[in-house]
Amino acid sequence: MDVKDLKTLIKMVTETDITEFEMENADEKIVIKRGPTGQIIQMAAPAAMAAPMAMPVMSTGGAAPLAAATPVPVVDDKYETINSPIVGTFYRKPSPEAPTFVEAGSVVEKGQTVCLVEAMKLFNEIEADFKCRIVEILKNDAEPVEFGEPLFKVERL
Amino acid sequence: MSATGARETILNLFRQASAGYVSGARLSEVLGVSRTAVWKQIEQLRQLGYRIEAIPSRGYRLCDVPDLPLAEELRSGLATRRIGREIRYLAETDSTNRQAYALGEAGADEGLVVIADRQSAGKGRMGRTWASPPGVNLYVSILLRPPLPPQAAPQLTFISTLAVSRAIAAVSGLAPTHKWPNDVLIDGRKVAGLLNELSAESDRIRFVVLGIGVNLNMTAEQFPADLRMPATSLLLAGGRPVPRALFARTLLEELDALYAEFLLHGPAPLLAAWEERCDLVGKPVEVDEGGSGLVRGTVSGIDRDGALLLTLADGSTARILAGDVRQC
Repeated sequence: MDVKDLKTLIKMVTETDITEFEMENADEKIVIKRGPTGQIIQMAAPAAMAAPMAMPVMSTGGAAPLAAATPVPVVDDKYETINSPIVGTFYRKPSPEAPTFVEAGSVVEKGQTVCLVEAMKLFNEIEADFKCRIVEILKNDAEPVEFGEPLFKVERL
Repeated sequence: MSATGARETILNLFRQASAGYVSGARLSEVLGVSRTAVWKQIEQLRQLGYRIEAIPSRGYRLCDVPDLPLAEELRSGLATRRIGREIRYLAETDSTNRQAYALGEAGADEGLVVIADRQSAGKGRMGRTWASPPGVNLYVSILLRPPLPPQAAPQLTFISTLAVSRAIAAVSGLAPTHKWPNDVLIDGRKVAGLLNELSAESDRIRFVVLGIGVNLNMTAEQFPADLRMPATSLLLAGGRPVPRALFARTLLEELDALYAEFLLHGPAPLLAAWEERCDLVGKPVEVDEGGSGLVRGTVSGIDRDGALLLTLADGSTARILAGDVRQC
C-alpha cells in the first residue's frame, strides 16, 4: 500500500467511531488503533521486500498521534520541507493587501514566519525551524492543506 | 507587595467593611506601610475611578466602583483553577492578542489573562480590525498551554465560543446562538468576535492565545458604519448595561470549567454542547470556501474535529473546514 492510500485509509477510519482496525494480506499488515490519547498506527512489511519498497514502521504515542499520516515528502539529499502542523487553509500573506511572507528564493532565518494556516478561526503562523532558502512554494494562496502536508521545499543553509 | 497587590488588599478590606469606614491606621497595619503610603494608594485608586470618601476621625470608605475590568476587580471572588492566575489590565493597548502572544513567547504561564479598556488595533480575521472603543466592551486574551498536538488546537475555538455564549446567558439572560465555527449571535446579529492564535512545533502546542471581544455596552452610534455583518451589543439587545468586571469574571469561570472538561474528557461533550446552540442544524446554507468555490447543502451538524457537515443535493456529505456560512 502506498502512502497516499494509507493516508486515505487513516482518514476513513478517523471519521468513524472505529477504535481498532486491522488488515492483513500476503505482503503487509496494517494496524490502526485509537484511544483517548490519540492514534497509534503500525505497519509492518515482511523483511523479504526490497528495500526501496519497504514500508515505514511507525508507532507514535500521545505527543504526535497522527505523525504516521504525514505523507513522506519526496526529498533528495539537498532539500527538506516545511510541513503544516494542522489541517486548514494556507495563506501566503497576513491579509489580502499585505505583501507575501516569502517568495521562492527568499532566505529566511530560524523562527521567521513563512506562512499562515487557518483552521476554525485559529491562526497558526508557521515558522522556519532553521535558516533556509525557499526553493519552491508547494501550495497556492488560500488553498486547503492537510495535516503534515509539505508547504515549502527548502534548502537548509 | 506590588502596587496592584496593595490596592487589591485595600479593596478587600473595603469589601469586608461593606459600606463602612476602614481607618487609615488599620490599612497601614495590614499593608505594613506608613499612613502616607496608604494615602498614595488611595489616590491611585481614585485615579482609576474608585470613589473613596475620607473623613479624618473615621478613615476611608468606598462609595463607588468604576465599570472597568481591572485586575483587582476580576480577581475579587474569581472561582477558577487555571485561568486568571495572572491578570494584566491595560488601559490601552494595540491588541490584547498581540500582548498575550508576546508574553507567551517570553514564557508566561498558562492561565495568563490580558484585558484592556481600549484597543487601538484590535485584531480581526485577515488583517481586519475589531472596533474597540473604551469604556463599554470587553477585550480579553487568554494564554493556554494544553499538552496536546497542534492538530487539536482548532477545537479550542469551540470552547471559547461556548464560554462566551454561556457567560452572555448567565449575565444578561439573553439566549445567544452559534454560527459555525465561532460566531455568537443574538437575534441573528453578531455580538462577539473570537480569534485564536497558535504557536506550535510540528508535534506539540507551545501555546494558544484565545482572543475574545464582546460588545457589552456599546451604543448604536459607536458601531463602525462599514461592518461586514449586522452587529449588536448586550445593552442594545437586552436593554440594560452589563457590568464589565462581572461579565469578564463570569466568562473566565465558564472558560476555566470548559477547558478543564476538555483536558479531561476530550472535545466530544463540548462539541455537542456547542451544537445545541447552533440553530443552523437542519437548515439549507451555502458556504463560500474562498479559493475553492461555493458549496450548497443542509447542515447536519459538526464532526469530532469540529468540521461542519453538510448533506448535499445528491445525498453525499461534505466536510467543511473553512469558509463563510450563509443561510439561504
